[in-house]
Amino acid sequence: MNSKIAIEARELSFGYENGLVLTNVSFSIGAGELVALIGPNGSGKTTLLKLLLGFLPPKTGQVSLCDQPLQSYAPIERAKTIAYVSQQPWLSFPLTAFELASLGRYPHASRFKFSSADAAAVERALDETGSKHLGERSFATLSGGEKQKVLISRALAQSARILLLDEPTLHLDLYYQLQILAALKKLCVEQRVTVIAVLHDVNQVLLFADKALLLNDGMLRAFGPVVEVINENSIRDLLGVDMKAIEDAETGGRYYLPRDPFRIRRQPS
Amino acid sequence: MNRQRWSCLLIAFTLFISFFLALSIGPVRISLFDMSATDKVILFNLRLPRILSAFFVGGGLALAGAIFQGLFRNPIADSYLLGVSSGASLGAAAAIVFRLASPLANFAAVSCFAFIGSLVALALVFYFGHHDGGFSIFRLLLSGLGVGLFLSSLVAIFMLMAGEELKALIFFFLGGFSSSSWDTTWVSLACIPLAVVAACYFAPELNVLLLGEETAESSGIRTGRIQLLYAILAALLTSISVSVAGLIGFIGLIVPHMIRLVFGADHRTLFPLTFFCGGIFLILCDTAARTVIAPAELPVGVVTSLLGVPIFLYLIRKESGDYNW
Repeated sequence: MNSKIAIEARELSFGYENGLVLTNVSFSIGAGELVALIGPNGSGKTTLLKLLLGFLPPKTGQVSLCDQPLQSYAPIERAKTIAYVSQQPWLSFPLTAFELASLGRYPHASRFKFSSADAAAVERALDETGSKHLGERSFATLSGGEKQKVLISRALAQSARILLLDEPTLHLDLYYQLQILAALKKLCVEQRVTVIAVLHDVNQVLLFADKALLLNDGMLRAFGPVVEVINENSIRDLLGVDMKAIEDAETGGRYYLPRDPFRIRRQPS
Repeated sequence: MNRQRWSCLLIAFTLFISFFLALSIGPVRISLFDMSATDKVILFNLRLPRILSAFFVGGGLALAGAIFQGLFRNPIADSYLLGVSSGASLGAAAAIVFRLASPLANFAAVSCFAFIGSLVALALVFYFGHHDGGFSIFRLLLSGLGVGLFLSSLVAIFMLMAGEELKALIFFFLGGFSSSSWDTTWVSLACIPLAVVAACYFAPELNVLLLGEETAESSGIRTGRIQLLYAILAALLTSISVSVAGLIGFIGLIVPHMIRLVFGADHRTLFPLTFFCGGIFLILCDTAARTVIAPAELPVGVVTSLLGVPIFLYLIRKESGDYNW
């Protein structure tokens, strides 16, 4: 558990009958890193997440969590190591935010008794995303951003060292997007949790992430510290959009704006 | 916690009262403290099996509804909507019309074939609802609707083919407990409690499944096995209920909703409460059915709808948005 490498993919490939969706992807991510997974729609991001979680069997290659092969984990042990926040589910039943977050204790809690230690872990998880005050509210009545925070709390209550999130800022307003990214960053820094999140906004990636995985056509185009791998060329090659770099005089940071926002056209990569 | 303890006490008390009422009320009024020999025969050979059947069928149908709703993450899923009841009816109809012998000794042929029919229906629904290695809930509900309609048409053909068995068949489909005896009761007494225990035992897994297969899988749950187990449990509960009491609608839809609106959606409390309240509800409905126009009887399905639907509609009206519909 004290391993420096939290998650490692070695020559990972996956495909269906009509061809490969992911080809030869290799990377290793250290404990406490926040990694952004970036790529256009259909580039294989969700497939990669599913391979890392063990939902799909790789065609070739291997995934290791904390230096142990993924397939050597029993499901419950795997759940104690890696947690997942999918895109917001449609929940048609009345659960409170606390009850929903409590579901994250499944790998730890006894079947018959929800202990005070479990309740404390849920409280802590809600606190970490700033949603403790929502505990007694019905999940269905929360706003999109509040819902997402509660869903992330559920994954945190799982007490896993690695957290995978599929588009955690989808459909959220800017306030909640930043709040969620800041909460994730805090987890990485303070608790050495490793986070891999699918994100689309390159400027948010530059602000919050340590590293970026750039994925296109099922292939890993670049992997490394965000300031090294995100630049005008890589954005054009990856996302097909022509962007220009803007220096922030105050912080010295580099950010990107579309060069011609009124004539966005996919650039040939 | 306190609220749960009070509700358990309340349910136990209501169960006791409804048993007491159902045993004493009827065309012959029986005092439980001063019984003649005839009273004893009526009580132990007629009323007790009937009341136990009503309890287990009511609980079983309500629980089957709650399971289907949890399994399909859809508050309108029900044994009827998913074609499982039609499958059970087809099996039962085949057993009656063709006078089939039971493949298992000691089990009534109607129960056995109702169970086989419901499993076949469920297998068809899963087969057509399956896509790219997963289920789509809408696809499953649509295929349930289709399979249910198709099997109902086959039941109609069986009815046309039935000669002298037609009366038995119609009697069966009207639903009710007027022909209940120990012969029909013991199957439900033997199987339904087991299904209830199993359903309650795996409730934590079904709770996580409410958030979708991927979240459940990432929580360490073998989702395929749990879904299959619950599908079989719900089919078992439905088929036994249909084979004992024919078709009784609405309970699987109404009772779980009422419990959810009052106690929330946690299956660990929802399942046992739904079972007991479904049982109590059907005992009371059956008691009403056999006393309101005594010595004639109302079909119990009519009573469940007349009593249950207004309460149900009231609760929907009162619902404060928790259901996300």
